[in-house]
Amino acid sequence: MGKKKSVALLVIYTLVVAVLCFICTVSFSYGTDNMYTFSSIMRMMEKDADLGLAYGANAEAGTYLGGGYSAVYYPEGVISAKEYDDNIDGMSEEDAQEYAQNYVRYPDENGSVYLEKGVACNDDGTMQDSFREAFGEALETVTQRYAALRVDGARVESVGDYAIGVFLPAMMDSEYSAISAFAYTGEFNITSGSDEASATSLFTIRPNQTIRDYVSRVTSRTAGETSYIEIVFTDAGKDALAAATASAAETAVTLFFNVGDTNVLQLSVSETYNENTLYISGSYTAETANTVAVLFSTALDGTEEDLALTPADAYFHTALYGENTVVMLYIAFAVFFVAMMAFFFIRYHRLGFVHLYTYLVFLFAMILCGWSISFLYLSVETFLAFLLTSVLLCVSNAVTFECARREFALGKTMTNSVKLGYKKCFWKLFDLHIVVAIIGFLVYAIALTSLQTAAFVLGLGAAFSGIASLLVNRFGWAVMMGTSKKQGAFCNFKREEVEDE
Amino acid sequence: MSNKRLNLLPVWAAISAVIIIAGIVLMALLGFNNSLDRPESKVFDVHYNVVVDLNEESKASLETFCEDAFADAGIDFDSVATLSGQSDPVSLNQSTFSPTGNNFVLRYTFSADVSDEALASAKAAVEAAIEGDEAFLLPAETYVSFDTYTLQPMNEAMWRGAVAVAVAAIVALIYVAIRFGLGCALTGLVACVNDAFLTLSVFAIARIPVYAFAPMLYAAIAAAVSVVLWLIRSMKLRDDAKEPSAGVLSAEESVANVCKATDKTVWISVGVLLAIIAVGALCTMMTGAAAVFAGALIPVAAGLYSSMLLAPALHVRIKAHFDAIKRKRTRYEGKKKAAKNDAQA
Repeated sequence: MGKKKSVALLVIYTLVVAVLCFICTVSFSYGTDNMYTFSSIMRMMEKDADLGLAYGANAEAGTYLGGGYSAVYYPEGVISAKEYDDNIDGMSEEDAQEYAQNYVRYPDENGSVYLEKGVACNDDGTMQDSFREAFGEALETVTQRYAALRVDGARVESVGDYAIGVFLPAMMDSEYSAISAFAYTGEFNITSGSDEASATSLFTIRPNQTIRDYVSRVTSRTAGETSYIEIVFTDAGKDALAAATASAAETAVTLFFNVGDTNVLQLSVSETYNENTLYISGSYTAETANTVAVLFSTALDGTEEDLALTPADAYFHTALYGENTVVMLYIAFAVFFVAMMAFFFIRYHRLGFVHLYTYLVFLFAMILCGWSISFLYLSVETFLAFLLTSVLLCVSNAVTFECARREFALGKTMTNSVKLGYKKCFWKLFDLHIVVAIIGFLVYAIALTSLQTAAFVLGLGAAFSGIASLLVNRFGWAVMMGTSKKQGAFCNFKREEVEDE
Repeated sequence: MSNKRLNLLPVWAAISAVIIIAGIVLMALLGFNNSLDRPESKVFDVHYNVVVDLNEESKASLETFCEDAFADAGIDFDSVATLSGQSDPVSLNQSTFSPTGNNFVLRYTFSADVSDEALASAKAAVEAAIEGDEAFLLPAETYVSFDTYTLQPMNEAMWRGAVAVAVAAIVALIYVAIRFGLGCALTGLVACVNDAFLTLSVFAIARIPVYAFAPMLYAAIAAAVSVVLWLIRSMKLRDDAKEPSAGVLSAEESVANVCKATDKTVWISVGVLLAIIAVGALCTMMTGAAAVFAGALIPVAAGLYSSMLLAPALHVRIKAHFDAIKRKRTRYEGKKKAAKNDAQA
């Protein structure tokens, strides 16, 4: 490659890296009174709620600190001691006495809840067996719902043996909706009519039947930008739906989808629906559609006897790992970066720039993917996976440099040394990257939540590392070396000394 | 050293077997030490600011009351946090939480073995201290309670993670088998399974505190590191096999040569990985993330163990077996060829 061509390509390469660097890392405000803000990709990249710091696009650092929301589901017949005190405070002495007669503090005088006699406890203050059993079932249903959300950090805890504590990380678009919806208990049912009050059930469920005889499953799907709920009916369910919507062409029919006594969504139908699968879209995101689908799906096994739950005591919790963990991760990366560049510049002199450019291209490609791929976010696990692939790239580049060094030492020209060096290590590096990428992408395909995300980053990083090491690095080497007259000195490569005989 | 370690397969196998069997037993009986996720804890809540605003001084005095009460009761808390109250999630029309602004909880978290009696006495002491303080005139302004929280297991992520690691390792080793031969893939598979189980066993035996998601993450790292390190050896084995002198070397000599040539690369790769993970742990030492980084040192160390000791020693046996099959096949084909030539003659 000619020197002029090399310089021109180097300038273009540098400009591309500089622009990527600017887009990915520099944020600033501009305009009158700093009205407008340019947010870097790093700033907009989503962060794990456990890490703290700003989350989501354009979030101002310090205004939102990761973390999550908790709430407590109180079953019917159970109220918190605080609520009991608040209720009794506003009553006359007589009413208070009557009110107090209906409740027993549980489990003892220091308990944090009161149980209602006849509903949750017997007159002697002991918990009813039926309540205990119903509570166990409700706890299982709620746990099943939160697990089915597949959100990293979601928790369900039993509070004593009388309430259910739930937690969702502030990574979701609508934690409130999920916590609110998952408190609904009872059987899933669909009614039809002109209004909710007069609507009648779509299905005639006989004593030996359940809703599962009419609805086989409820799932959610996302196609492109549209998310929808998919309700799959059995043949009996399909016939019932067709009968209910038979007159829809003349008079619009509204379908009400309920869990227990609560109407969760309604759908206006203007033509006869005679299909096994009903798709309901609207303003759902993938997350909210999943929430409703999980609720309906678990309610297929619900019964009229299910314990009603009331969500209360909602609180915001700060990030699990602490508010400054993101900053600490950046510091760890800075230490790694400095150590890496020190090694490459000391051992390979100006050839270190080739690695620097290659690494920056790799880094910015990873950042751009982290921002643009919806399910990726910065967490300790993904950072760890990113570091592992960074090491892979560093080792790969070092291997190619060493292979070329050996060839150069034997007396070959620099161009031949690079060519032969790459030829010798190409398939080794190819195998290395393929194997890591296979592991990463397969684990991503099967695993869930944090491991899934970290594995995807590992696979993606391995793919980018392979491309960067085998293509970008070679291009950078050719371009940069072309600008130097003493190519051996440029790379800190030396000829092997041969003693004269 | 090289040759010696290659002859000690029973020792390395015994070490791995003992650790893994003990680990599996402990995993089955006790699981992992998920104390970082607080599987069971007791929380002591002081609700405040219910009626009127509390000044900063009063908030500080609430903390003092609590901590004095805990000291008197002889109990130590694990963590303390101030939680801000949010609108109750009772409506389906609302999609996000909004702070109430006048409802807070000072939450102390204790380990599950703290007695209810001690917490009850602390509660009484805090209530008495609040009542005796003029700053807290309204009784409904503060409220003290304590509860036991028990985490409900969500095991799907765990078993799916285990299946994912197993499938990924097997597919990766099928690739190794295609590229480097069945012998290399078999050794790699044993090393990979050994490292993943060894890592999990070390966590189970040493009761190292981990987050619930972490064991499968570490198993995945162990599998990946193990495969990569064995790949380095496999590449050299394949290169050496192409040499004309390869046929005269015994399996032990071949593997010893490979180890000699690749030990430095393995040490450097593992050293760099360990150093980077240690830097991550050190930089995040003041945060909860340090535990995740520190735990990742174990799978890398497990990968180093099998790559340096177990895998080469095992591969001597496997290579010897495959070489014998190869020789037998060559002899058979030679005889077949000779018979064919005779028939033609």
